[in-house]
Amino acid sequence: MTIALASPALPDLRRLWTDAPALTLLALILTLGLIPLYAAMALDLRDFHGNSPWLKPVKFHYALAIYAITLAFFARFMPAATRQSRLWRWFTGAVVFAIVAECLWLWGAASLNTAAHFNTDHPIFAAVYSLMGAFAVLLTSASLAMGLSIWRNRATGLPEGLRLSIALGLILTFVLTVITAGYLSAQPGHFVGTPVTGAALPILGWSREVGDLRVAHFLATHALHGLPIWGLIATRMGDARGAVTLVWGGAAAYAALVTATFIQALNGLPLI
Amino acid sequence: MPTDPHVLFAASGPLAMLGWLALALSPLAPRAAQIVAGLAIPAILSVAYAALILVHWADAPGGFGSLADVMALFTDPPVALAGWLHYLAFDLLIGAWIARTAQATGIPHLLILPCLALTFLFGPAGFLAFLILRAAFTARARMIGTPQ
Repeated sequence: MTIALASPALPDLRRLWTDAPALTLLALILTLGLIPLYAAMALDLRDFHGNSPWLKPVKFHYALAIYAITLAFFARFMPAATRQSRLWRWFTGAVVFAIVAECLWLWGAASLNTAAHFNTDHPIFAAVYSLMGAFAVLLTSASLAMGLSIWRNRATGLPEGLRLSIALGLILTFVLTVITAGYLSAQPGHFVGTPVTGAALPILGWSREVGDLRVAHFLATHALHGLPIWGLIATRMGDARGAVTLVWGGAAAYAALVTATFIQALNGLPLI
Repeated sequence: MPTDPHVLFAASGPLAMLGWLALALSPLAPRAAQIVAGLAIPAILSVAYAALILVHWADAPGGFGSLADVMALFTDPPVALAGWLHYLAFDLLIGAWIARTAQATGIPHLLILPCLALTFLFGPAGFLAFLILRAAFTARARMIGTPQ
């Protein structure tokens, strides 16, 4: 792959701090927070469903750091007035708070070697689980708000196809995640079917023997990466109008892919 | 002067809490907070520590040679109390250092409150949390210049 996808001018990373200071700071702190997490993982001899209890907070730290830094990057394509408004700053603050609360719970659950999700062992855990669900919707709604803002912003300086791909990616991340993760959280667990003996894909950890609802959730949540990358490719492929058409097609295809993996899991079938 | 370690222990908690309260409110009076939490209270605790060690070290079991030795050492109430005062004094010093460093590098006080709470409860964990926070601000300063 040696297709030149990057624009001639590399994006200015300093703008992460000026456009989205809280999200950028959060992403860095989550990344550095992996150091004590890995140290705990190295020391902890306990087992949680076949893995270290610390695997889950580690995964979420990576995921949420990537999410936060992605939002911080896309913030530059919002209208400056929106970005600097008091409402947006408070909203971002609430989102950062939700992510921090989510991580604190994951650390606590790992420390107790109990389930952070689907935990109904104790009324307190069940209550925390519901609260975390609300926080999860709040933190995901940041991508919807940003997507709509970029959707309406006519002055991003981006090619139309690329701008559309970023807006659609952000909006789809919210819509598809709320559907897939919302359904997932209402189930007793993320597997559909039996027997679960533990055969799983490396790194991702998805089941290779039964349906795994996390596949659709993962793809849904990465729409904000997948579509803009497709948008970059599409703007290189043809004229402006063609690129817009390709991006709309890509968005439809992406939604179809998420739907397909969702239905596949509901039917108890593994991805691979 | 009470000599019962349990009585001294009960007195040491509120004294340390006073220092942590001063640090939590340090933006109101940074210099006073530094004098209280970074000097006066650690000094008082250190005097008590030194006295406990001078009086009780000779008769205490164990030592520093192995974990078993240290565990034996801490079975002795006056020495265990000295160990506790050591924590209280040095955690406060670290807390005062955190408040000072945050002020000097422009880290908002609200962000160090969790680090202070963590240092109060689990000393080195709070120190580590602040190192992480400071590293993020250092990265920011390197990228866009010093914070306003």
